[in-house]
Amino acid sequence: MSRWLAIGLRVASPIALAFILGFTLFAGAGYDIVEVVNGLWQGAIAAPGSLEQSIRWAIPLAVISFGIIITLRTGEFNIGAQGQILLGGLGAASVALLLPGWPPVLVIPLALLAGIILGALWSAIAGVLKVFFNADEVINTLMLNFIAALLIQWVTTGPLKDDATRGETASTPRVDRMFRLSDGTGVSIELILIVVVAALLAWIIIERSPFGLKSRLVGSSPRVAAWQGLQIKRIHITTYLLAGAFAGLAGALEVLGPSARLVTGATPTLGFTAIVVAIVGMLRIPGALAAALFFGGLQAAILFLPIVSRLPSSGLRIIEGLVALLITAQFLWQRRRRNQGQKL
Amino acid sequence: MASAEIVLRCEEIAVAYGDVQALQPTSLAFEAGRIHALVGQNGAGKTSLARVLAGIIQPAGGRYWIREEEIRESSVQQARKLGLDIVHQRFTLPPNFTVAEALELVSARKYAGAFYSYGALRSAWLRELRRADIKVSPSAKIRDLPIETNQSLEILRALAGQAQILILDEPTALLSPGGVERLFARLRQLRDAGVTLLLILHKLREVMAIADTIAVLRAGRLVLPPTEIAAVSEQRLSDLIIGEGASVEGPAGATETRESDKTRTVNLSLAGVNTRHSETEPALAAVSLALESAEILGIAGVEGNGQRSLVDVLTGLMSARSGRVELLGQDVTDLKHHQRRTIGLRAVPFDRVTEGLSLPLALWENVTIWNAENFRRSRFGPLKIGAMREAARLALEAFDVQYESLDQPAGSLSGGNMQRLILARELAQGARVVIAAQPTRGLDFRATQYVWGVLRQLRQAGASIMLVSSDLDELFSLSDRIGVMRGGQIMAEYAPPFDMQVIGDSMIGAAR
Repeated sequence: MSRWLAIGLRVASPIALAFILGFTLFAGAGYDIVEVVNGLWQGAIAAPGSLEQSIRWAIPLAVISFGIIITLRTGEFNIGAQGQILLGGLGAASVALLLPGWPPVLVIPLALLAGIILGALWSAIAGVLKVFFNADEVINTLMLNFIAALLIQWVTTGPLKDDATRGETASTPRVDRMFRLSDGTGVSIELILIVVVAALLAWIIIERSPFGLKSRLVGSSPRVAAWQGLQIKRIHITTYLLAGAFAGLAGALEVLGPSARLVTGATPTLGFTAIVVAIVGMLRIPGALAAALFFGGLQAAILFLPIVSRLPSSGLRIIEGLVALLITAQFLWQRRRRNQGQKL
Repeated sequence: MASAEIVLRCEEIAVAYGDVQALQPTSLAFEAGRIHALVGQNGAGKTSLARVLAGIIQPAGGRYWIREEEIRESSVQQARKLGLDIVHQRFTLPPNFTVAEALELVSARKYAGAFYSYGALRSAWLRELRRADIKVSPSAKIRDLPIETNQSLEILRALAGQAQILILDEPTALLSPGGVERLFARLRQLRDAGVTLLLILHKLREVMAIADTIAVLRAGRLVLPPTEIAAVSEQRLSDLIIGEGASVEGPAGATETRESDKTRTVNLSLAGVNTRHSETEPALAAVSLALESAEILGIAGVEGNGQRSLVDVLTGLMSARSGRVELLGQDVTDLKHHQRRTIGLRAVPFDRVTEGLSLPLALWENVTIWNAENFRRSRFGPLKIGAMREAARLALEAFDVQYESLDQPAGSLSGGNMQRLILARELAQGARVVIAAQPTRGLDFRATQYVWGVLRQLRQAGASIMLVSSDLDELFSLSDRIGVMRGGQIMAEYAPPFDMQVIGDSMIGAAR
């Protein structure tokens, strides 16, 4: 049991440190800390509808993090989830908007599938560049995020433009109510069922498939993997396809769920927060689910805070960023120490 | 000669890496303006001594002087200031730089200030290149240069810094015979210009061709202080390097297995295989060999003479440029490692820590991951983890691995148990042709005996084993035949009784 205590401490300490640093900063700037803490509590859990909001954000974070867990286990630092989500949303929105009046039992699975496939293909671009041209995946995936954002901007101002609104942000028309998986709250039995199925599937892939075990060997000791006859290129490509598939699914769920349409510049940080969720969750599915609830709560609180505190919501974003920074530093430091051990 | 100036002097210099004593306290001195050879087998301590002199590592004890100046806080800068420089076995010039940029970057001599024009840099280094008679454009990229030119640049780099004492660590290791000739001609010119040269060499023939004096290290001890080359016979040198030893009988039981000659088949063969040279080794040149069933073929050779390429080509980790590889009657020249495994090939890698085992992964994972597909419930079903753990447990038990839990990371095992785990994994099932590379390196006596026993049993059972080792005792006590590799070729093949001197001479290319 002391092992679990150690793991708990290891996860909790950077989070606690991030809050301490953040609160010190706010106190120094003259904000009322009690008010901020109250806002956090209210926004994430206590206020009416808050818990729903926390779960609403936990859903995409969890689904995206499943894919990121797979890439991190294979030793790849894929930060392209942000773009893959957008492509997933594009796939789902296209199917839902181009097949109006078709039966939902057909359109909804098709839309989800389109999201999954587009996300996977978008991710595979980075995978192919990495595997066959040895192009660094951090740069690839980051750049593909920008391209994806611009692609969505073009789609929402061009082919799938919503003519009804002359609003501030460009978006597609709304998806037909029949095809929706939830209302605007973003919480429904359907969505939660899909997350549960995705979690089970991800767990089987990671813990109960030859690919899952082999990808860990590739990630921890690529030279050993080569001597064991593992097909490293194939494993890498599969890794990227799966990561994109989960992110694409998350994007599709946004469009068929709370958002109801594809919006330019929507959810700009989900794909990055999901990396932190994966790492805080110790690269395991149950851990990621718990971490997704935590960061979902934080996201809900960020949106709620301005109602009760003078602290702008960007204040809490600072804390979120600090958590990401500290956790990533801890993760990379541990990996480096392990790799050094490998060399000795 | 006694009156000649001493430029390098060591008193009781010792080197230790952790608990390993690489160099016992050693005292020696080198005279100015001559070519000194420092010779010995792998692990004899040559490179350690050279690195101390060049200021790269700190000695564990002792004192030394460069040109009469005692070095207290050794550093590369200090050594260079006193005119001593080293050319490493692996080159250090940055591959993406042009010749002029690279030389400017690493040389002690600087032609450019904080701001400079590329043209000025180019013409300054072009002058230096011409003076040294190196035919290369200063705008060429380092990575496009042949090895020989690269090495010439390393020497130029050192000399441009006004080096008066130059250490070259195995300068001939990657050169072609013609390249060695040209290198030696250049070194002689340097000597005649007053530079003192200390060469670390493996091949006796080369020592005889170039050196004025020779010193021999064996197992971290100086067994021959710098001696005029004319005053010592090649045969005596060979004995000093390898260690004197009588012939060793063939392995016990060899005669029994030899009786069944009629049923023996060729299980693994190479025919005229060529490869590209790797970072550390020369290319394989027209290598042919055949490995029969129930046989251990030993491969001897000074490390870096193509053994790794040979193993890589056999396992499919590297592809042959030309030639043919056959495994159990199939042409496997174009097959990958995993495909060769399914036919019946297994390999014990050179380095158990970086190639054999994943240290952070659990024991059972290390044993079973490679054939995880065989533990599925159905074609696409989930894995039977229980069955995998059970298979791992049985394999570990069969090879007597000492462990506490199947979940402990492999990194927590001792070296001997790591090697047992690797054997357990590779030999548990279906091993018909086994490549064992340095299977007992770093193991203690008991663990070594165990590995030897396993290999003998395997042969008894009819498997073909190729044993690559730098330990001649190991090769002599296990092998049915021994092939000697030198310069990427199998130079000769020997049958028992093996003669330590003959094989030793063949390894270092000495003539009696």
